[in-house]
Amino acid sequence: MLILTRKIDDEIIINSEIKIKVLSISDNQVKLGITAPVSVGILRGEIYEKVKQSTIDAVNQSKNKVNDISGFKVNKIGK
Amino acid sequence: MKINTHQFGEIEFNQEHLINFSSGLLGFEDIKKYVLIKTEDELFYWLNSVDKPELCFPIVGIRVIDDSFQTETAYEAFGIVTMNQDPLKITINLKAPVYINQDEKKGFQKVLEDEKYLLNYNLFKE
Repeated sequence: MLILTRKIDDEIIINSEIKIKVLSISDNQVKLGITAPVSVGILRGEIYEKVKQSTIDAVNQSKNKVNDISGFKVNKIGK
Repeated sequence: MKINTHQFGEIEFNQEHLINFSSGLLGFEDIKKYVLIKTEDELFYWLNSVDKPELCFPIVGIRVIDDSFQTETAYEAFGIVTMNQDPLKITINLKAPVYINQDEKKGFQKVLEDEKYLLNYNLFKE
């Protein structure tokens, strides 16, 4: 892992096109500003892990038989 | 082309039925080719990897749940469904929809910032 020390307003440039700037630092929080092309996917690490785990769960559960769903209604948002 | 699926047994399809996910799915970035299987069921579709046939899961169109859902032009948005024996425990991932363009045979996955879209949203109610 490459480790860099940066101060407020300092930047890191990745591949000449992704710019990460340190905006503010408080007790145990860092605020980062990221500028990147739209094609670059940016995610909080824990969200990535949760989505991945959810897909793994879906794959595992897909093998199970489901009881008859005909008596149930789709749970619409806002209805 | 033929693959063996655990859900439908051996299925056969043509090259032109393949849907290309150029960036893969989150956590499965290396797996890019999928086939979209329609069933007699009007709600569920199945997305099955071609290179890794055991990677297979049901999906449901998000418009079925939220008719005002904003999708991308020419793409249909689907949520990955986690099945359960108890229908009331079946959940759908609305946080990271899978977008599929069935005409151009391509797709991608995106995470939504809007907190009303949950990772484990109950698909059914009584």
